[in-house]
Amino acid sequence: MADTTMGTAAAARPGLFLRNATGLVKAWSTFDAFVYSFWSINLITLGLYGMSYVYWVPDGQLLAAIVIFGVLTTFLVITYAMLVSVMPRTGGDYAWQSRVLGGGLGFVLSITGWWFTLFLWAPIYANILNVQFFLPLAYTLKLSGVATFFTSQTGLFVSCLIVLAFVSVVVTLGMETYARIQKICFWIGLGGLVVVCGLLLFASQSDFQHAFNREAASLFGASGNAYQSTIDLGTKAGYTQHDFGAFSLGPIFLLMPFLAFYLLWPNWGATLYGEVRGAKDIRKPFWSMFWGLWVTIGLVALVMILIVKTMGWQFYNSANAAYYNYAFYGGDATPVATWPYPVMFAGWLVDNHLFQALLIVVMGLWFFGWAGTLFLSSTRVIFAAAFDRVLPSWAANISARRRVPYGSLVLMIVPSVVISAIYSYVPKFQSVFLDATAVLALTFLATVVAAIILPWRRKDLYEASPVANYKVAGVPTITVVAVITAIFLLFMLYEWSFNSSNLYGTSFQATLNSVYYFLATYVVAIAIYVVARIVRSRQGIDLRRIHHEIPVE
Amino acid sequence: MTKIFFATDLHGSEVCWKKFLNAARFYDADVLICGGDMTGKAIVPIVSENGAFSVVLGGEQQTVPAEQVGEVEATIRRKGYYPLRMSVERLHELDQSPEKRAVCFQEVMLEGVDRWMNMAAEKLRGSGIRCFVCPGNDDEMEVDDVVRRSELVELGEGRMVDIDGFAMISTGWSNPTPWKTHREDSEEQLAERIETMASQIADPRRAIFNLHCPPFKSGLDEAPAIDADLKLLHGGRALRPVGSTAVREAIERHQPLLSLHGHIHESKGAVKIGKTLSINPGSAYEEGMLMGAIVLLDAKKGIKSYQLVNG
Repeated sequence: MADTTMGTAAAARPGLFLRNATGLVKAWSTFDAFVYSFWSINLITLGLYGMSYVYWVPDGQLLAAIVIFGVLTTFLVITYAMLVSVMPRTGGDYAWQSRVLGGGLGFVLSITGWWFTLFLWAPIYANILNVQFFLPLAYTLKLSGVATFFTSQTGLFVSCLIVLAFVSVVVTLGMETYARIQKICFWIGLGGLVVVCGLLLFASQSDFQHAFNREAASLFGASGNAYQSTIDLGTKAGYTQHDFGAFSLGPIFLLMPFLAFYLLWPNWGATLYGEVRGAKDIRKPFWSMFWGLWVTIGLVALVMILIVKTMGWQFYNSANAAYYNYAFYGGDATPVATWPYPVMFAGWLVDNHLFQALLIVVMGLWFFGWAGTLFLSSTRVIFAAAFDRVLPSWAANISARRRVPYGSLVLMIVPSVVISAIYSYVPKFQSVFLDATAVLALTFLATVVAAIILPWRRKDLYEASPVANYKVAGVPTITVVAVITAIFLLFMLYEWSFNSSNLYGTSFQATLNSVYYFLATYVVAIAIYVVARIVRSRQGIDLRRIHHEIPVE
Repeated sequence: MTKIFFATDLHGSEVCWKKFLNAARFYDADVLICGGDMTGKAIVPIVSENGAFSVVLGGEQQTVPAEQVGEVEATIRRKGYYPLRMSVERLHELDQSPEKRAVCFQEVMLEGVDRWMNMAAEKLRGSGIRCFVCPGNDDEMEVDDVVRRSELVELGEGRMVDIDGFAMISTGWSNPTPWKTHREDSEEQLAERIETMASQIADPRRAIFNLHCPPFKSGLDEAPAIDADLKLLHGGRALRPVGSTAVREAIERHQPLLSLHGHIHESKGAVKIGKTLSINPGSAYEEGMLMGAIVLLDAKKGIKSYQLVNG
């Protein structure tokens, strides 16, 4: 029998004798896990899209807001890393909530977030694919027919179907293959970002104005000073100009709910940690999520500073204000009749359409390296609920030959197609999609509450975990960091729900349809659980006992 | 009707073994089945030095007074490790000699299994509850003898037993693993081992296959991908099916009513393979949580219900 000894640096003598046994593996690379977290808070796809709305808070200092958001989200990261360490369970939020808060509450709160709300994210992803890939590529290659198609309702729906097909293929291929794809996309995409940053760094603002006017004319048929016209249209759309450096604390916090659109997800992969050996070591999950968050923040800061330097802060905000005013409120058409994609604009600094197209394709890898994980966490949550017998057992079925989780895929894909059709063909329904971030934040809040009470509600699990060693003034650290995170999430939920100016398009008083929609999802989740309780009870299964601890003595 | 409680891969966790024994009354089960890999993976030396004891816990060396050593030992056992008091000289001796370490491991493991068997006798005596244990690939062969000597625990390995009219066959042998553990067969040998028992079954509709290794590509056998150096790939998220083709073929050929598996702790689940319900309840022994499966067998209907629980 082969075996080994393990010591500590401090002890300089063995502290543990290990024998050869199944599953004794060496730790995974933090870098590999970092890549997954880094993709989850994708600075190009989600980041640039999310920040195109910050013109609504013109006096908010964006860099300060990003850093403060990063600090507060770090508490979320610590909370989740600690939960992973205490209970490395597949299903993440569902497992933690159901085991700490109770099966019913855990099911309703997590399933509405990780199942029902993810339907809404499919069209959001499709919209990003449209405005960051299909449309800029079509315009750059002067394929006006293709561009026109993808701006149509059917074009948007086709994009949704492409996203759903891509996500299904990724789930079918499995994480090992997709992890390889992610790494390739990571390095090539990073190379593309270096080119974008280099172009913005070495060009002056007058270079950019010249390039913008040239390409606006060449690709979009604009005449005159398109750069200045864009700024004028932004002002007409209601954007009030402020210096980039202007600092005011209140508006900084008002930016937070916008930033949550991309920066709130470093824990996106936490639902998968049940499959990760070594996750009990808090350092690995923490550092992978931490670096995913802070490397993104660093890169966002760099990109924004370069955009401000070369494109101009007023232009950046005006372009976004003018575009949304045109797209959603019937305002004047913008000289560049598409979403102001900073990557496309940076490419215009090189007077070569082939290069510009290539840059868009390369930067498109930020989408394809990221989008595949859309339903990966959802399938795990559905699996966990099916294993608990709350959902039918077929929901966790996988095919024998290709290991396709067809049950959970059907549960995700079919409703997503319906929701995508509604998104594409019923524009007035689109306010519901603005709530997609808020509902996930609510799911996180429930998990954070579970973390707050964990040391008392599941004392056995807590005290058996390495997390029990961490205390702040005698109070469990997990409780302290979770309380801070809860305050942060509650603040954003309040703003999303009750902001008097309907700043985020989600205030209850202005979006009753959204309120009804989400209430309906919670009612459906409650109904599923109640029906499951009744049906299982008739089968002799008591769902309440799933998480009841067996006495030791 | 007969209610079975199945748990597996306790890996030396004394808390989980105590919960396993208590599960019968907690879930009102008639039969307890422990699917294998009972023994722990590590010895934690508690070194006697200058009137105190030093021990490394969670990577940190701690010095504890003699009166607290019992508490430390309980904590170590809870995680599935074996606490062992020793002198500094003995520590160095074990450190330097793989052979002496192997002997020491066997002693503490067998002593641990023996203690567990005694606990079972105390807990189950007079209850009418049957308890089966089938050592897994991580358990040394000598474990079988300790179980055989047990007063109330029945050894499942390599034979067919009757459970209220249902025939159960068991083996803890697995297909080859990168760790080259104690009970590993080639797929062909494993197929033969299973077939020898399965061929004795008269009615597969009333048969239970208690096979430690899960069937290949069943979803119950997804383990984190590792490289040749046993390092986890892709942040530990990449999964590969590592189950046995022999087990799968046996299930597909004989179509027993129920198959019970373990081995892959992360791959909790319940799936249908043809007419067979295959279950891997998973394992979270390090947390002291007993993951198990409750299966209600009906003489006429077969499986009336099943449930995976975290006790």
